[in-house]
Amino acid sequence: MFNKVLIANRGEIAVRIIRACRELGMLTVAVYSEADRQALHVRLADEAYYLGPAPSRESYLRADKIIAIAEKSEAKAIHPGYGFLAERADFAQACLDAGLAFIGPKPSCIAAMGDKAVARATVAASGVPVVPGTEGEGSLSNEELLALAPKIGFPLLIKATAGGGGKGMREVEEIGEMPGLLQAARREAEASFGDGNVYLEQLIEGARHIEMQILADSHGNVIHLGERECSLQRRHQKLLEESPSPFVGDDEEFRQRMGAVAVRAAQAVDYVNAGTIEFLVDKDKNFYFLEMNTRLQVEHPVTEIVTGLDIVKEQIRIARGRHMRHTQEDIHLSGWAIECRINAEDPYNHFLPSTGRISHMILPTGPGVRLDTGVYAGFEISPYYDSLIAKLIVSGETRGEAILRMRRALEEYKIIGVRTNIPFHQRIMDSHRYMGGQYDTRFVEERFSMEAAEEGKEDLSEIAAILATLVAHQQTQRAAHIIQRGERDTSNWKWVGRWERMHR
Amino acid sequence: MKYVTTIAEREFVIEILDDHHVALNGVVYVVDFESVSERTVYSLLVNNQSFEGSVYPSDEGWQVLLHGSQYVLQVEDEREKRLRASMGGELPENIDFHLRAPMPGLVVAIPISEGQAVQKGDVLIILESMKMQNELKSPRPGRISRVRVKPGDSVEHKETLLSVV
Repeated sequence: MFNKVLIANRGEIAVRIIRACRELGMLTVAVYSEADRQALHVRLADEAYYLGPAPSRESYLRADKIIAIAEKSEAKAIHPGYGFLAERADFAQACLDAGLAFIGPKPSCIAAMGDKAVARATVAASGVPVVPGTEGEGSLSNEELLALAPKIGFPLLIKATAGGGGKGMREVEEIGEMPGLLQAARREAEASFGDGNVYLEQLIEGARHIEMQILADSHGNVIHLGERECSLQRRHQKLLEESPSPFVGDDEEFRQRMGAVAVRAAQAVDYVNAGTIEFLVDKDKNFYFLEMNTRLQVEHPVTEIVTGLDIVKEQIRIARGRHMRHTQEDIHLSGWAIECRINAEDPYNHFLPSTGRISHMILPTGPGVRLDTGVYAGFEISPYYDSLIAKLIVSGETRGEAILRMRRALEEYKIIGVRTNIPFHQRIMDSHRYMGGQYDTRFVEERFSMEAAEEGKEDLSEIAAILATLVAHQQTQRAAHIIQRGERDTSNWKWVGRWERMHR
Repeated sequence: MKYVTTIAEREFVIEILDDHHVALNGVVYVVDFESVSERTVYSLLVNNQSFEGSVYPSDEGWQVLLHGSQYVLQVEDEREKRLRASMGGELPENIDFHLRAPMPGLVVAIPISEGQAVQKGDVLIILESMKMQNELKSPRPGRISRVRVKPGDSVEHKETLLSVV
């Protein structure tokens, strides 16, 4: 049984895990790269160890160093967070070999679900529906894929076998553009995962992306914690999640049916700890297994809010070999939760990442607001890691209340020094389609624009004009002030006095 | 002091009368204007109505973020406006375009080569930053000239990568 945990991650998720450990009375060990010496997770942890230079392959991906630090610091468990080493079966195995508890699933589960082709074949064998594609065919050459493509039908998706987070993924409208897109997908997959293998999958149009959170203990109990709606994406990157899903809504029978399938998928690989089954859902409520994420998800807080569970604490309990505290009958979704991912990206400039020092920050607070973040005023956003800087989560009795609360919180949140996608989220919260729950995975790309005026939205052009003019005027006045050297704001005698004192 | 402020073709004549009064197209407003953090966020009271906005200078003019909307404005005093009118408007279309890195990152690929003709929207460089591959595209048709980087290079923010002439 462990009571000291090493967190093999950085940013908001490292902070989230440290908080859970604290509440359980456990000691925490942080690791950091050269770029992260001043990061919040280092400041909050009980101990912190230097890993290596800023690029992740020399720091947060150095499994050997991390295990050595665990041994040195006598942390008996490692929490991998998400990303980095979280879904690397070899790392999980190396932890076990070193006598450390890995707070996550068994290496065999990570391996089975990590290879998307194997995952699809495994769950399909246990009767879980999958999207038609080239799963279970192993790695295929470009020629073989081009030959198989017409059988699946267009449009289709090229996906990286080792993929995740939309990397190495391309949409194909027709066969002519496929060779070029195959090459692009392989290049990106090779760069991101060191594995250029890809497979094909039918593209379900108008699809929603809905996922089920599951928890499984080492005593054979598996439960689901309801769904999360993750359809709001841009280039296959999730931007906003909510629970429950407005598409599932009051249809408890549908929820339980999807939940039961998720539980079956987890049981198919003898799963232990927290995991997520992602489904594509078409407009007729048919759902297909997409993939399983064998780790804590970025968007876990929305489930925590509507179920009242602390998923990270449950993970630690499960890793300590305890029984889960809840059975399926205990789990009820109550109220509504929405999460906006606040990224250092400029929504007015093609969502290009923005780096720099956060000079000022005003945080949203007040009723029903939760902020998970790893940054603070004075912190430097570096180009080495992903652009997520905070997750703003709100709760409400109803979806309507949650939306209004999110609007209020976004307006309060001020981050100065880097550009963020807060204006994007504000636009979404004002969008009639979002309010009506009428959106699918293509909404942001096809029916959303930062420029187009939203109907009924107040026009503040006059106020903007006054504000810009006052700022410009002030700047001109200041510049003029510097040039007029003779005119000091105080008497020349006082200036001489101060000058002399300074040079004493 | 009188200014002409333009937002997307709409012109406002704004006269700053004193520290607390401005006239917008002839209508006088009582204003109170304070910088609340390092000159980027401003609190503005207009006839006691409270607004908070961020104001950034940019190449296209002033960018104002107000209640989740962005406004891009040109602020000119009367002298500047006359000067511009006498210059006869826009800059020539066929001026060289220098592609600058919009952020620090790593050059992943350069799908074009020196001297090649490109169309508007063609990908010039793939730049990786924050684990995302970003395609930098040509804003207009032209010919590639002076490619200053190669795949594998790390580039700084605003570094010139290549030119389209």
